Amino acid sequence: MSVTREEVLRIAQLAELHVEEEQLPALVEQMSRIIDYVAQLSQLPAGETVKPFLAGPDAARFRPDEVKPIPLARPPADMAPAFKEGYFLVPKLEQFEQGNGAAEEE
Amino acid sequence: MTTVAEAVATARATVERLTKVKRLHGLLTPTTELRKSLLQQAQAAHPSGVLYGMPVVVKDNICTLDFTTTCGSKVLEGWRAPYDATAVARLRAAGALIAGKSNCDEFAMGSSTEHSAYGRVLHPLDKTRVPGGSSGGSAALVGAGAVPAALGSETGGSVRQPAAFCGVVGIKPTYGRVSRYGLVAFGSSLDQIGVFGRSVHDAARVLSVISGRDPRDATCEDRDPLRLPTVPESLQGFVIGLPKEYFPAELDPAVRRACDRAIRMMRELGAAVREVSLPHTPYAVPTYYVIAPAEASSNLARYDGVRYGPRFNGATDLRSLYRSTRGQGFGPEVRRRILVGTYVLSSGYYDAYYRRAQQMRALIAQDFRNVFDRGVDLLFTPTVPSPAFKAGEKLADPIAMYMSDIFTVTANLAGLPAISLPIGRVKGLPIGGQLIGQAFLEDEMIEAAYALERVVPATDEA
Repeated sequence: MSVTREEVLRIAQLAELHVEEEQLPALVEQMSRIIDYVAQLSQLPAGETVKPFLAGPDAARFRPDEVKPIPLARPPADMAPAFKEGYFLVPKLEQFEQGNGAAEEE
Repeated sequence: MTTVAEAVATARATVERLTKVKRLHGLLTPTTELRKSLLQQAQAAHPSGVLYGMPVVVKDNICTLDFTTTCGSKVLEGWRAPYDATAVARLRAAGALIAGKSNCDEFAMGSSTEHSAYGRVLHPLDKTRVPGGSSGGSAALVGAGAVPAALGSETGGSVRQPAAFCGVVGIKPTYGRVSRYGLVAFGSSLDQIGVFGRSVHDAARVLSVISGRDPRDATCEDRDPLRLPTVPESLQGFVIGLPKEYFPAELDPAVRRACDRAIRMMRELGAAVREVSLPHTPYAVPTYYVIAPAEASSNLARYDGVRYGPRFNGATDLRSLYRSTRGQGFGPEVRRRILVGTYVLSSGYYDAYYRRAQQMRALIAQDFRNVFDRGVDLLFTPTVPSPAFKAGEKLADPIAMYMSDIFTVTANLAGLPAISLPIGRVKGLPIGGQLIGQAFLEDEMIEAAYALERVVPATDEA
């Protein structure tokens, strides 16, 4: 396997994605196959220089720097799972709940 | 159609037709909601619009004020957009009736419409087979004759591949031809809204209405809407290239026969046909499956349980809220692509995968420029290597599923327009032929498609 169980868990953490234990073996196998498959791109010489391809207009068009709110048919309160007094509500950060206020280390 | 009464009659007939094909599971909008909305729309639509009274189904990853926009995902279950996508607003302004939202692979990730959280879509001619994907609901409903046209979206072939499977016309416009405002983002450098139609004319009419500049999308070109070409008498003056990489020895024999017949007919119509080469084609699928997941992993970061849709409970802190919402809200294909995308962008792998894929994308785009610079107007290829496959056949093997995009992803990577139209059948299943055009020359591509459509026996066995 080119991708290990530990790598999948690390990547899932980076992607903020919970992966169930029973999903792991299939995920490791399928991700390994996909990564092995796309590895054929390494046949391209590393030094080969090509002008990068950008889809779309050659130059980004800028709008005038004016604040023009787009009228929404529904306010954020109708879309968000939890909303109060103009704010999206979320659970507290763990470290603050524990009362130490220290930055979480990864 | 010129009167409100006729538009109302069309609205009623559309609801009946869509109800009759409910078993396909192509439409996500409940019938009662659809009936009420369509009748209101028919009474309010302006009779002078060029699409007045034309029912158009919209893929569920394109925002509409009425109906939910779920992208086929649990994570957006019940979500109603606060605005219409520009393409939808333009359809309404032209008098079209938005005939509900069509089922699709979750966040447009898939080639079979088996990856919707709301169940798989059935092929309109064979319920044991897939309609293609990711815009399978739109393709199946047009293929079943329930509506004359539908919107889909393309990131790697999600309009042309299901169009080929379902025996309808599918157009992917040049990147920047149609505004992406209101199209839920998957791979932003690849995504485009595309169109399905029963005929080239139906699809082209809808495309001309939704195309053109839009200040709300910086990647939309500052151009006028597409002007429809006339139906040509012949293909005199057209040079059609046949890229040899798209006709491999292992190509399905019936697909090859159908293509050979279409090529012969284009010659008989006066086109000059010559073999060409796009040498980096074999790397297109791996390139796509690095770039698209990388962009998806970034675009889908917003579905975190804070700003949209359901929040999966049980989280005691913010990070576990993110992780549990995303872990439970996304299906297996979306989870897999987010993980692959995060992997190829992560420290230590970025140069080996993502940078290489970007270099390869540039070479693939250069291949097309080289061919077009040598006097070729259009390229003709099969749309898909085989007809519609059986449901479940490729679910356990993501690479096999990805390979069904092998002839379509290149146009997305190079930002070019392409059209799939039916060119024959094998054992009753449709086969699609593809014309790839030069950037912003959709009119030439549609002109050639008109000519081919008139002569090719689309429902005959190849």
